[in-house]
Amino acid sequence: MALTCLEVQELENIFALLLLGSFVGLPAPPTFLSVELLPFMDRELRVLHQRAEDAHDMLAEMMGSLGVD
Amino acid sequence: MKILFFTGKGGVGKSTLAAAAAWQLSRKRRVLIVSLDPAHNLGDIFGVAIKGRRRRFTPSLHLDEVDLRKMARAYLERETQTLSDTYKYLATLNLDSYFSVLKYSPGIEEYALLTSIERTIREEAGFDYVIFDTPPTGLTLRFLALPQVTITWIDRLTAIRRQILEKRYTIQKIRRPLKEGETAREVLLSYREDDDDIMARLKALHDNYRRLTAVLQGGDCGVVLVFNPDLLSRRESERLIEGLNDLRLPLRLLIQNKVTAANREIAVAVGDSLQAAAGGAVPLQYVALDPGIAANNGSLYEIPEDLEANLGF
Repeated sequence: MALTCLEVQELENIFALLLLGSFVGLPAPPTFLSVELLPFMDRELRVLHQRAEDAHDMLAEMMGSLGVD
Repeated sequence: MKILFFTGKGGVGKSTLAAAAAWQLSRKRRVLIVSLDPAHNLGDIFGVAIKGRRRRFTPSLHLDEVDLRKMARAYLERETQTLSDTYKYLATLNLDSYFSVLKYSPGIEEYALLTSIERTIREEAGFDYVIFDTPPTGLTLRFLALPQVTITWIDRLTAIRRQILEKRYTIQKIRRPLKEGETAREVLLSYREDDDDIMARLKALHDNYRRLTAVLQGGDCGVVLVFNPDLLSRRESERLIEGLNDLRLPLRLLIQNKVTAANREIAVAVGDSLQAAAGGAVPLQYVALDPGIAANNGSLYEIPEDLEANLGF
């Protein structure tokens, strides 16, 4: 269950990265596609942000996904 | 309704020939000619001022010039509005205007072009022919490729989105249903494809581009390639033919412009090689260099070549 939640989050992260990757230097889709979808990307952006924020602490991240408190 | 794109290197005379073809066709049919070139000269050719709005030149010939920058601006204003509606709270801080930088995004111009073509095709069913005079080759190929490139992107994004929704559904199934009066501890996310805004938008975009690609590749649409008997024009035309092949857009007619007695020999060589590159089945037409038009005391209404014969496809 926790794993599925994590998987969803990762997928959302990837989705946001693909659409908005030009911010971090990934090849971007046609700009207008990003612009079209941007209004609905509220949650994805938050996930993306959260992932970026947690990225420096891999250990905590791993413990979190394994459910170790 | 037949749709024609006049393409070619800058300066080969595609605007003049597009105008001449439109004039000849308009003697029997209703024709709309639209200039997509940012450096408009349709008005100059017909000797009228168009200034961004439709003009009835004769009852059966209408002229239009698309103002790309205005279109791009209008499109972005619409998007910025949606964005601002979503992030309404920013208006209280007076921060909503910052979204306006989006207008400098690359790629917006091609998109505006494509949108205007799509709208013209959709709204102008009353004409027998719609002729587009296109901007320089590079931009033309890019915007003609845009629907297909975009569909590829949309397909990949849809696949990921579908997975997200499936996983969300799984999670929703595992959690027990809420008891009466109980509120969920977490925000409930949409997991049905119809409820998901992003999925709905992706689907709408996908349908839109599918339709447009079908029209562009269809039997009523065609590209006319204009070129001159010289090396640069020949090379660029070869690339254009290749590009059109990749996009599976139908090339209907090759027109070699500015042919004189002196360059006839080169003209035949260039013409034959391009016709071979195009697969051999595309008709090739020679148009003589008319010193009258070049000196501005001739008129395109008197072009002796019959351009209309090959445009009936």
